[in-house]
Amino acid sequence: MLYPATGAAAAAVIMEAMAVSILAVEDDDRIRTTMRMVLEDEGFDVSEAASAEAALETFEARTFDLVLVDIMLPGMSGFDLCRSLRRASDVPIVMVTARVDSHDVVAGLEAGADDYVRKPFAAKELSARIRALLRRASPREDDTGRAAAYRFGDVEVLPDAGVVRRDGREVAVTKTEFRLLCELARNTGIVLSRDQLLERVWGYDYFGDRRLVDSHVRRLRTKIEKDPSEPRHLLTMRGLGYKLQP
Amino acid sequence: MKLNLRPARTRSLRFRVTVAFALAGLVLSTVVALLAYTFSEHYLVRQRESSLQRQAYVDARVLRDDVQRTGDVAGGLASAERSVDSSVVLSYRGSWLGTSVAIGRDQVPDGLRRQVQSGQPARQRVQVNGDPWLFVGLPIPALGIDYYEAFKFDELERTLGVLRASLLGSAALATVLGGLIGIWASRRLARPVAQVAAASERVAAGDLETRLAPQSDRDLDRLVTSFNRMVDALGQRIDRDARFVSDVSHELRSPLTAVAAAAEVLRGRRDEIPERSRVALDLLVSEIDRLRLIVEDLLELSRADAGVDELELEPVEFGEQIRQTLGRGDESPEVRVDPALAGSPVLVDKRRLDRVLLNLFENARAHGGGVTAVAVRRRNGHVRIEVDDAGPGVSESDRSRIFDRFARGAASGQRRPASGSGLGLALVAEHVRIQGGRVWVEEPPSHQGARFVVELPWRPA
Repeated sequence: MLYPATGAAAAAVIMEAMAVSILAVEDDDRIRTTMRMVLEDEGFDVSEAASAEAALETFEARTFDLVLVDIMLPGMSGFDLCRSLRRASDVPIVMVTARVDSHDVVAGLEAGADDYVRKPFAAKELSARIRALLRRASPREDDTGRAAAYRFGDVEVLPDAGVVRRDGREVAVTKTEFRLLCELARNTGIVLSRDQLLERVWGYDYFGDRRLVDSHVRRLRTKIEKDPSEPRHLLTMRGLGYKLQP
Repeated sequence: MKLNLRPARTRSLRFRVTVAFALAGLVLSTVVALLAYTFSEHYLVRQRESSLQRQAYVDARVLRDDVQRTGDVAGGLASAERSVDSSVVLSYRGSWLGTSVAIGRDQVPDGLRRQVQSGQPARQRVQVNGDPWLFVGLPIPALGIDYYEAFKFDELERTLGVLRASLLGSAALATVLGGLIGIWASRRLARPVAQVAAASERVAAGDLETRLAPQSDRDLDRLVTSFNRMVDALGQRIDRDARFVSDVSHELRSPLTAVAAAAEVLRGRRDEIPERSRVALDLLVSEIDRLRLIVEDLLELSRADAGVDELELEPVEFGEQIRQTLGRGDESPEVRVDPALAGSPVLVDKRRLDRVLLNLFENARAHGGGVTAVAVRRRNGHVRIEVDDAGPGVSESDRSRIFDRFARGAASGQRRPASGSGLGLALVAEHVRIQGGRVWVEEPPSHQGARFVVELPWRPA
């Protein structure tokens, strides 16, 4: 899938062909309006929601390829919205936050967000993050050396089908978690640093937040490990990164 | 407000207290010794004089009895047995007789002679040839003899000499003891002062958690309490300032986000805009970018100030890290890595190191005509990174100010118009400081451009 770098004319072409739909949840209407304009210029089909409640309603009515969630929402918080969305869907979620406190970012990631951008964001940065997530959410063509299936313990990963099974039963993972698991499985027994994972899974070339990796690993462990506090497959290599062990 | 303190010309408090105690010891012991000596001397001399006088009476009576029996004055005088240290001189019918060569008529003091002649017994101390003598004069009216007996007095002088020496010794000892007590007391006195000084230094170094323990002494406790209160107030004030900066930055974020996005929309339609408006738009876009950078850096600085983020040490290979960070720019300067460090990772906070390197390179590009060379060495338990640029260098007076927030060097007039946030080097200083390192700028040996030096503690992985 290819997206033009920028330009309204190019965007029009894409929108005709197959517009990526984004739900932008933001209570500040000035930011919401300008954000929509920027994203539309980048070729996305944008719907707006001024509150978490409105967002849930809209989300029920139709599907979206990606949701942008402002954390500071009146009424139901962005965190709760993330959790509600996660219960029903593996849609990629990018949270938008004005605070950079560790607490907020970690809480957002734990609530199920795939990535985050900080206000004030550059339009280029925001669309880059969205593209990276979408690329990740769809099968990658350039994956070479990918096996048909990976098995470790009672866990089975089928990269092409996008399915993870434990004890023969399918486990619900988000697309980001799936990509992360595949990346680790492809390098079974090899330590991958957080920076390497940030680059390969999230598409950050630098200054990615390592907490993204840590949160997602934690979440993956609750899904594939028998005892997430005593992982046997998805191991932390102190000071180095993570490793998947059969 | 400045406290009116005397200039530091005077000696240290401890020295002065010690000297004061020693002096007090000296004065007190001297006074006591003088009194003791005077009384003892007086008493001893009186006692000795009266005992010698009694001796003279006995000797005179023996002589009188002898002379009355024999009628021979000279013979009686010669045969009389006396104590070794006494000599007798007498005047008998106008002539003088003596028992020794040393003591004769001339040695008998005139006053004594007159008193004896008038029929009064008397005694007097006299120096003869430098020796102390006691003369006892007695009239013997039965024979018409004026009897004088002279006793050498030096035995007592020796006793007094010993007394003097021991009193002098005691005085000296008391002085030394006084000094020692002075040292001990001044140490005791100076300890709380030293504690306050050490605590102040810690506070000055940025440790605002420093507090002094309460004291049982009332005066000291007041000092301790007011010191702690001062640190509290200082901490609150710093917190308030930091919170203000942080709040302002946060408040700026939302409007800035909307403005930046709006400008971005306009930029996407740049071609549809008339030439003149385009210039304004470009200016708008670039300044909004800068504003965003300032807000980002301000927030990062206030986080660093507040110490929110902990150090996350992990093994990093410096050469590789530098090349990677440099790779994001256009230039390809020489990177020299100490062979002792090549291939051996060091524990650092990678994110902070990345920020430091990126900001230093950014600074070199913006103000120094680009990075010309980067070197990594090991030196005295530190890893040292040197970043050289090709700019006009940094003047002596700007070298410490350049790391200040929003510092604008005197040379900035010649530099490119401000493009960064003005906080890049302040952030470098903060991130280096948090890792326990130092950063400064110096002139490279080639005298061309500037050299920024970062020293981080060497922690082998």
